[in-house]
Amino acid sequence: MEEEEDQQKLPDLVKELVHRLLSQNLPSNSPPLNPNSPEFRNSLRYALRILSSRLTPSVAPDAAAIADSIKRRLATHARSADALSFADLFSKFASKAQSVNNKWAVIYLLKIISEDRHKTAAIPATTTPLLPNLAFSQPASNNGWSNGVLLVSKDPENRREVAFREFVNLVKEENEVLEEVIVRDVLYACQGVDGRFVKFESDSKRYVIPDSVRVPRATRSMVHNLCELGGLFRKVSGYISQSMDRFPNEDVGTVGQAFCSALQDELSEYYKLLAVLEAQASNPIPLVSESASSGNYLSLRRLAVWLAEPMVKMRLMADLVEKCRVLRGGAMAGAIHLHAQHGDPMVHEFMRRLLQRVCSSLFEMVRRWVLEGELEDIFSEFFIVGQPVKAESLWREGYRLHHAMLPSFIPPSLAQRILRTGKSINFLRVCCEDRGWADAATEVITDNEVTARRGGFGYGETDTLELLVDKAAKRIDKHLLDVIFKRYKFKEHCLAIKQYLLLGQGDFVQYLMDIVGPDLSEPANTISSFKLSGLLETAIRASNAQYEDPDILDRLRVKMMPHESGDRGWDVFSLEYDARVPLDTVFTESVMARYLRIFNFLWKLKRVEHALTGAWKTMKPNCITSNSFTRLQHAVKMQLVSTLRRCQVLWVEINHFISNLQYYIMFEVLEISWSNFLAEIEVAKDLDDLLAAHEKYLHSIVEKSLLGDLSQSLYKSLLVIFDLILRFRSRADRLYEGIHELQARYSSF
Amino acid sequence: MLQGGDRKDVFFYQADDQHYIPRALLIDLEPRVINGIQNSDYRNLYNHENIFVSDHGGGAGNNWASGYDQSTTEIILTAFKHLEDLGMQGQHVEEEIMDMIDREADGSDSLEGFVLCHSIAGGTGSGMGSYLLETLNDRYSKKLVQTYSVFPNQMETSDVVVQPYNSLLTLKRLTLNADCVVVLDNTALNRIAVERLHLSNPTFAQTNSLVSTVMSASTTTLRYPGYMNNDLVGLLASLIPTPRCHFLMTGYTPLTVERQRNIEKIDDTSLQANVIRKTTVLDVMRRLLQAKNIMVSSYARTKDASQAKYISILNIIQGEVDPTQVHESLQRIRERKLVNFIEWGPASIQVALSRKSPYVQTAHRVSGLMLASHTSIRHLFSKTLSQYEKLRKKQAFIDAYRKFPMFADNDLSEFDESRDIIESLVDEYKACESPDYIKWGMEDPNNMLTGEGNAAGSLDPNSVA
Repeated sequence: MEEEEDQQKLPDLVKELVHRLLSQNLPSNSPPLNPNSPEFRNSLRYALRILSSRLTPSVAPDAAAIADSIKRRLATHARSADALSFADLFSKFASKAQSVNNKWAVIYLLKIISEDRHKTAAIPATTTPLLPNLAFSQPASNNGWSNGVLLVSKDPENRREVAFREFVNLVKEENEVLEEVIVRDVLYACQGVDGRFVKFESDSKRYVIPDSVRVPRATRSMVHNLCELGGLFRKVSGYISQSMDRFPNEDVGTVGQAFCSALQDELSEYYKLLAVLEAQASNPIPLVSESASSGNYLSLRRLAVWLAEPMVKMRLMADLVEKCRVLRGGAMAGAIHLHAQHGDPMVHEFMRRLLQRVCSSLFEMVRRWVLEGELEDIFSEFFIVGQPVKAESLWREGYRLHHAMLPSFIPPSLAQRILRTGKSINFLRVCCEDRGWADAATEVITDNEVTARRGGFGYGETDTLELLVDKAAKRIDKHLLDVIFKRYKFKEHCLAIKQYLLLGQGDFVQYLMDIVGPDLSEPANTISSFKLSGLLETAIRASNAQYEDPDILDRLRVKMMPHESGDRGWDVFSLEYDARVPLDTVFTESVMARYLRIFNFLWKLKRVEHALTGAWKTMKPNCITSNSFTRLQHAVKMQLVSTLRRCQVLWVEINHFISNLQYYIMFEVLEISWSNFLAEIEVAKDLDDLLAAHEKYLHSIVEKSLLGDLSQSLYKSLLVIFDLILRFRSRADRLYEGIHELQARYSSF
Repeated sequence: MLQGGDRKDVFFYQADDQHYIPRALLIDLEPRVINGIQNSDYRNLYNHENIFVSDHGGGAGNNWASGYDQSTTEIILTAFKHLEDLGMQGQHVEEEIMDMIDREADGSDSLEGFVLCHSIAGGTGSGMGSYLLETLNDRYSKKLVQTYSVFPNQMETSDVVVQPYNSLLTLKRLTLNADCVVVLDNTALNRIAVERLHLSNPTFAQTNSLVSTVMSASTTTLRYPGYMNNDLVGLLASLIPTPRCHFLMTGYTPLTVERQRNIEKIDDTSLQANVIRKTTVLDVMRRLLQAKNIMVSSYARTKDASQAKYISILNIIQGEVDPTQVHESLQRIRERKLVNFIEWGPASIQVALSRKSPYVQTAHRVSGLMLASHTSIRHLFSKTLSQYEKLRKKQAFIDAYRKFPMFADNDLSEFDESRDIIESLVDEYKACESPDYIKWGMEDPNNMLTGEGNAAGSLDPNSVA
């Protein structure tokens, strides 16, 4: 009964309130308000509707939060004392006023009023601050979902209210299914499971509410949007399980595994969230005026908020999964890295975390490779691949960059350095049989504990990686060069090659030419290379070459090149230098073949020079001038003298040509290339530099001594000229032989 | 074992105790100079079997004929740093000397030739030297014979009055029997000592040190093997394109001289005259072309200088040389047209780079020796000829020669023959200055050559009866 009374009292009170408010607003000259006038009745009805409907403000129903914002407001307006007292009052209110249900609403109301007061203070009020539109407009009939209402719920207590009833009817008309059910379905869908209404449609690969179920279009589209997550989730988890299944039979690789596990972790985070959401979803969605204690309910809109972030992540993951489906190893890491360049800090952070996981195995590989030269890559994911080769080609062919596997966050130059460092270690280990590199590596580790800490660097720390690689490279390269220079005497061997293969050791070459010359004039197939080796030995013993390091002399051999019929010894004779491991990395077969070509050319040139000095010796001053042709007829004598002089002048021309050619070869080819080469190996920092310097040296000799492709025709002409000179020599010899015979005959008279 | 990087076996061999012995013979007809060596620090250097001093020790009395008759020579395969003028006499000692030569020749692995150091003015060096040249030419015709021949100082009145006779007779052998004659002109050596080294009264030791510097430098390419010029024949062949023109002049820069023979005790004051300057390849090459650095009398260089031409040049550059500089320097010299070359054949400056001996301290980074065949050398021979003519016209001192078999019965045809040969040598050098050298001697020479003081006779070497 009392309740009835109360209920009866309430409309009266409202009526009284409306009356007061309206009278306040009336112009002064108007007649007093008629409580039965249509305007009044309208206003009254509007007020009732406002009171009975429940417009939830766009703030969380959290008393503490609102109190906080008030405190902040006070504090920022330099009223910290008020703020303190407010805090005090609020805590008392929160703890003592047990009877008040909507604490937050009370606080919020107070806040709104306070804000309104400030506003009206700024703008002189012409209308009532409390019911601003009461006097003017007739509120349009509320159509349930329209007007940007954020959340409408109904309060069964006030079912009698007209507005509420209208609203409920509207909602019921459109919704065949309760929102709670849909929310639950969406949550299922988000875990990749079909719900009661929301099902996976395999055509569009999305979760949708079938058309048969009648839901408002807005709900449908919202569900549609929310359920995208489900589709993405299916993709991601599908990929994970697929990869897991493949492992270990197929090569998912460690990077793939890391990726899966990182995804898995992300998914479990996601599951946690879903679990919380599901718990909330079990709370009924309060309708309109349900009390704030049920703040933890889950509506579709709330769900949209909750799922916004997972959606972004899931999209990313799905995207990555899509991209990485066929990729492995470094390529995968690189593909993921491409997505990491994102302005959104959240995405960026997420990707960074993911990449750290994904790349850790790659970085571990780099570390081991750079410090230990180990290529631990059973799934061939690393951007360096090795292949079994002979020791001599280990450096050039043993290892190479696998560009497809090179993640884009490692710049190619760094990759090269990484490749070279590990290669150097392997080279030292395999070719140089050196153990000292380990010390160098240890030095690097102790040198910088931070970088050397196991797994202490990873994605995002390219600088650290670079630092480590640089340090390791520097030490290892230095060590390698030390070994090459000191233990394997690189420079000495280069010099030896210059001295013997490039004929720098003149006395040796001279002597060799003297003693092998007669043999080399024989047909190539009759020459015993055994004998020539003996002669080589003799030439060494007879020249300053004998003082050379025995190790170097041991490597110097005679080589007979394959010959064709008609070839003379001159065509096939060559010297050879056996560089041996590890220097055969520099002096490879093809390099030595080029040296051989140079040798052949220089040897031919030497032979011509030798022939020329030989010719000079037959016509040398005291052979000619001491002899006289006194007993010859004048005409014959003149002819002889003339022929001899022409022969001499021809000799001068030929000799001038040959010696200039030799000067050119010596000053502008050999010596200059050599001094450049020496300068370059002085500054060489690693074996590649050394190889490059040597290549440049050799190339410049080949090109400049007319052995290059461009000088083919010139070279052929030279050979023709050489041949002519040799023929000249034999003619001149015969001429002088004849003259000597003639003289002998006359002098015997 | 390999110290200094040079080939010691070119001029030395090792004794059983490993010490190096020069493959050299020291020969003289009088004991003074050789005794000096035998009492010096170097007495143990030489093989004592290789020292020959005439038994009676009377010398050759500055008479070519005496020296020739006693038959002689000296050094085989040089002992440098010791350029004593050595000689001896007597055909009766021929066998003994030839034994020595044969022994040394047989003892060397690949004998390339002989180097004879002598003077052409006195009796022993000229006479005995001539005899040896003929003998070597006959006996080792395939081997090279190079001489370092000291020409007399024309600025001083010589105590050897018959010097023109001796010189002429020796020049004939140098022309016919030697392959290469490095002319060491005492006139120029003295001038250089006075003008370049500021020695007011240069001693023999000082001028000899100039000579040893030249000899040492000219053999560096043989001793320090390189890509080119590793043997004597290769070195000489380019320098001597035409057989008779085988007289080479030398130039050396930068010049320094030691007062002490002992390298370890370099007297500081002795070096004061030797101003240290910056040396580059170009510097050195340019200076080598300057007359003042050339060890042939300046009158020979300046006379008819505009016509004089280089037949060949070889610069031996020693020291720290960047090979790139060589090319640049040559180009610079060519651009400046600093050198006149013969026109009848190609010619250019040849360069040999060589190391410096690590044992000899030098103040300069780069030094250079020029060996050149230059047509102006003919003036040296012309001078000898004219001095000879003067003496011969007066029939002066001929009697001293008549005592010996070659000139017995007043047969002075040897003089005439020598004169003709030297004259034709002078003419050939002159002919080399003309672009038509190739045709020279083929036609009537009078149409081709302007007379050279003496009537241009037949220039053929064979015209000598």
